[in-house]
Amino acid sequence: MPKHNDLEQKAFQIIMSSGNEGLPQSELWRKLGASSREGSRIALKLESKGLIRRERELRNGRWTYRLYPKRLPASIDSIADCPCMMCPDTSRCGSTGTITPQGCEKLTDWLIRLAEGGYKILGDS
Amino acid sequence: MQKRVTMLSTIDDVTLMKVAEALGEEEAVKLIEILKNSDEITDDEIANKTGIRLNNVRKILYKLYDHSLVSLRRTRDPKTGWFIFHWKLQPDQLEGFILSQKRRVFEKLNIRLEYEKNHDFYFCYTPGCKRVPFEEAVELVFKCPTCGKPLMHYNNEKIVKVLTEKVEQLRKELGE
Repeated sequence: MPKHNDLEQKAFQIIMSSGNEGLPQSELWRKLGASSREGSRIALKLESKGLIRRERELRNGRWTYRLYPKRLPASIDSIADCPCMMCPDTSRCGSTGTITPQGCEKLTDWLIRLAEGGYKILGDS
Repeated sequence: MQKRVTMLSTIDDVTLMKVAEALGEEEAVKLIEILKNSDEITDDEIANKTGIRLNNVRKILYKLYDHSLVSLRRTRDPKTGWFIFHWKLQPDQLEGFILSQKRRVFEKLNIRLEYEKNHDFYFCYTPGCKRVPFEEAVELVFKCPTCGKPLMHYNNEKIVKVLTEKVEQLRKELGE
């Protein structure tokens, strides 16, 4: 049973990484190295769990299903480089604290780097 | 079986490693790699396997524990009577963790954006010195308190622009 579950997780990962485009289910079997019987069972299972969406489409004259993820993978890319992410001073940072989002130098440096589109130091503008 | 269903995680390994990196510890990446591949493991075993010093292993584990990214079980060593800590990665907590981090960053950046929009800044253009808002610059008679050079107007348009973009991006990702 755990092996089957691993396959399910792997299938889900593959479908998720296809993003908004989705992917035809035949491609999923190929990537998983699974048979179409095994594969369609997994797809059905994922659908019943509400993790993916299946849509019928005509492909090379045959009806097949395209699989779409219902949720996109959580990513931290948008905040990974922001100094506020996991900032050690976060408990002391607030509008009335000793550290504020307005005056924080770490934040200023980061913003200036972003604004200059490079790694210029403060005042190079 | 029902428990396993929720274990289907929307987090891939790359994201997991990025979180490890964001912890600010290079060794955290190695440590998470080990945690990921074992069910339950003691801090001693991690130190032996990775070569990271035991006190550092514990430091990183406590950091992860703070964010509920690992769980902890305590047993007593029958010989010495000391506690043994068994650690386990909680991959299903990752999504919530990322979301709460995003929400916090979003809040902070929003406050900063309002501040940048509503203030005029003055700067001496010496690297390493601080920008000061207009009100403060008046009090300083437009002289930098650090280097003594005259303070001149600083155009923060670009900062407002990147901040606005970032805030909007996060607003979308958070679905607010």
